[in-house]
Amino acid sequence: MSALLTVRGLSAGYGPIEVLHGVDLDVQEGQVAVILGANGAGKTTMLRAISGMIPRTGVVDFNGQSIIKTAPERIVSLGVAQVPQGRGTFTDLTVDDNMRAGAYVRHDHEVVSDLALWYETFPRLKDRRSQKAGTLSGGEQQMLAIARALMSRPKLLLCDEPSLGLAPLITKALFQTIQRLNEQHGLTVLLVEQNANLALDIAHHVCLLETGLIIAAGSPAAIASDDAVRRAYLGA
Amino acid sequence: MKELLQYILDGLSIGSIYALIALGLVVIYRGTGHINFAQGEMALFSTLVTWWLHDKGVPLLLAIAISAALAFVGGALIDVGLMRPAGRRSAFAPVVVAIGLFQGLNSLSGLLFPKSGQGLPFPSLFPNKPKDFVSIFGAAWRIERIGVLAVVLVTTALLFVLFQKTKIGLAMRTVANDATSAKLVGVPTNRILMFSWALAAVIGAIGGALKAGIDTNVSIGSMFSVFLLSAAAATLGGLDSPGGAVIGGLSLGVIESLVGNYPHDWPASDWIGIKTKTVVAFLIILIVLLVRPSGLFGSSRVERV
Amino acid sequence: MTSTLRARQIRYGGSLHWILRAIVAAVLVVLVWRMVSGAVPSSLGKYTEAMALAIAALSLNLLFGFNGQISIGHSTFAGISAFFLGYSIRFWDNIAFVSLVEACVLCFLVGVVIGLPALRLKGPYLALVTLAIAYVWPTVARQFIERKVTAVTGESALTKFLVRPPSWTGLKNTRQDRALYLFWVALALMVLCYVVVRNLRTSRVGRSLVAVRDNETAAAVMGVNLARTKVLTFGVSAAMAGVSGWLIAAEIGTVDENSFTILTSIKYILALILGGAATLTGPIVGAFAYFFADDYLKRHAPHWNWLPGKFGDGPIASFLLGVLVIGFVFIAPQGIVGLCRRIGRNIATVVPEPIRGPTHEPANEPNNLPNNLPNNLGESTS
Repeated sequence: MSALLTVRGLSAGYGPIEVLHGVDLDVQEGQVAVILGANGAGKTTMLRAISGMIPRTGVVDFNGQSIIKTAPERIVSLGVAQVPQGRGTFTDLTVDDNMRAGAYVRHDHEVVSDLALWYETFPRLKDRRSQKAGTLSGGEQQMLAIARALMSRPKLLLCDEPSLGLAPLITKALFQTIQRLNEQHGLTVLLVEQNANLALDIAHHVCLLETGLIIAAGSPAAIASDDAVRRAYLGA
Repeated sequence: MKELLQYILDGLSIGSIYALIALGLVVIYRGTGHINFAQGEMALFSTLVTWWLHDKGVPLLLAIAISAALAFVGGALIDVGLMRPAGRRSAFAPVVVAIGLFQGLNSLSGLLFPKSGQGLPFPSLFPNKPKDFVSIFGAAWRIERIGVLAVVLVTTALLFVLFQKTKIGLAMRTVANDATSAKLVGVPTNRILMFSWALAAVIGAIGGALKAGIDTNVSIGSMFSVFLLSAAAATLGGLDSPGGAVIGGLSLGVIESLVGNYPHDWPASDWIGIKTKTVVAFLIILIVLLVRPSGLFGSSRVERV
Repeated sequence: MTSTLRARQIRYGGSLHWILRAIVAAVLVVLVWRMVSGAVPSSLGKYTEAMALAIAALSLNLLFGFNGQISIGHSTFAGISAFFLGYSIRFWDNIAFVSLVEACVLCFLVGVVIGLPALRLKGPYLALVTLAIAYVWPTVARQFIERKVTAVTGESALTKFLVRPPSWTGLKNTRQDRALYLFWVALALMVLCYVVVRNLRTSRVGRSLVAVRDNETAAAVMGVNLARTKVLTFGVSAAMAGVSGWLIAAEIGTVDENSFTILTSIKYILALILGGAATLTGPIVGAFAYFFADDYLKRHAPHWNWLPGKFGDGPIASFLLGVLVIGFVFIAPQGIVGLCRRIGRNIATVVPEPIRGPTHEPANEPNNLPNNLPNNLGESTS
């Protein structure tokens, strides 16, 4: 097993304010890695720094290749897809166009068959394929955001708080979907969450992020047994 | 009744040019959120290049094609060299640059083509002699006007195919909808914006040649009013709606034509007529905007605090 | 907030600050004295026109810089006022100052009416409505001249109205004295407008203007009356543009439908941007810079033989002006005043004053000049 994503000493922020202060992280191929953290810990900043959306310093290697200086659209074509916080679907475009936009970086001829595959996985989206994305419910939009990311045939999926604003039942179904994608399609996932209970269930590896620093990392069982974590995130 | 049909056709014909230029404005507005104040002068410059080529003996159609190709390059250069660096300075800087470009291009036209101040004779693309008309439903429809309308409608149709059916059109729509998400799916947003500017410049080159053909004349002042009316058309239709721009342009043309031909023996003919046709058209747009602040087909976005 | 605290600290150690102010005041007095002494009517007239432009830029700054509403229609207000002056003096034997007050009230009312759509329209849509108004004005003005002037006197423009110096000034009704009189009137009006804008800006009203500019919804939630703020700002700004038009008309002595076109409005915008939008002194600095750059280029550029080809007169000046404006966006995006502040800040760190740390965001930073305003125009509307 090799690390698909290697992050060393990653620092990033907005203008003069640094949010991440040198973070290390490894995501093994085929695993679901979860970053847990409270509001303002720097979770979203971390994903944005990895996908190149904000200026960053440090080491980010993907698939054995440095992507620290790579433009975000190029990083997508290398195989890193991000599902941004708040879903980021193209609300004025139809579901179908959203999906096709997801395949923008690809130049092969299997887009149509992929489309069929993911419509099969997400039948709700197929029902609404000619509807504008803005008319979908929150859960459906989250599904669409994930399906759209999958259309780029990513090796690594970055998910930014997919549970945000969703009802508990829908969140649960969503996490099952992510787990299924990991198990059946071998998709590597880096998930950022506040909802520790659900995230720990599907994770292979967990990191705790606090005020821009990783303060603990390990297997879900090890993290869950840590007293401080239990108090802060698991309400026990 | 016969006259009415004729006025409407004339209006549709000139309105189709507004619609075309308005599309150029919409393309840039969707990508950048700014009105390109230099759109009219970009069209003027291309039209003068067309005139110059034609004057040097190049066939008119070829001249238009060459100048459109040059406009494509020029539009892309304007984005790369001016608009994008300006956008990095502040959000409003591109508007100032566009205004500066408006002034610069207009006077550059005057410098490079010194006689354009008084107007240069420009050939029409279509037969435009008094006898060149066809009679449909009893009304005399001038071939030139039908030709312009046809060219514009075909161009517009091609643009819509580009927007809706091609990958680059899809990318343009994603950038217009949400530039950040567009980057996240791997759309090279900068290159798309560059293409939008290039496309708008080409649209200007075509629209300018058609307008100059109808006027049989091009002067440095001639594109400003076209820009204003096209901007009004785009506003009427909704600045981010290509379909709205077309409908806005056509209806503005028809309104202008009908008001301009308002019968002298009808009430208030002192105030409604050829001299005030633009005033009346703008008043109608103002009323529409009061009822629908984002134009007829524009989308109003919800702002987050 | 810490930034206001820092600003106070600087004021506290303010003897240097007062010396600076005294120097600035002295320079201004010398400048004005230099303008007046031994000047011929034509050069006095140029100063008057520059000050009229400054007033227009001030009025636009109130609307755009501080309230975020874009207007390309301010030439219309100037035009209305100019026509009012010409017509009322010529046909009603009005006193010039009465007509100034009346014209301002008229412009204020028209401004309020035009400001009403601003309640519903945002950014580019409002810009286009004002653009439409500026486009329509010459047509309306032409109709007015034909019906009210040409029909009576046979002339095709409003002419032969003179603003005569009142007897208490000791000035005679000669060309020289009229020009001198108008110069002082212009200076007084410009200072008046500056003080009005300055007081508006630093008052509660001013804070609500900026709040509306930066985030309408948030401002409304904080209790700012959006409708009243926006419409009144439009009205006051329009009245101020009226002052500018009145001055121009008084100076030139003839107006027609082509005196105030969209290009006039664009001139106002460029002057404002050149000086620095959302700063207090920017409009005045920008107006003078624009006016005299324009004047200089018009007179000299046609004779520059290092320019390629033979360009003759006319367009080269306006071409260079366009280039200048574009260049300014890159050299000094916050205008001349912003540039001076940036340079001044570097000098200020030399002075042993309790000043801020080096990593501070410069855009929002107050400084020890009298006009410490946020200068984050546009950047805050994400």
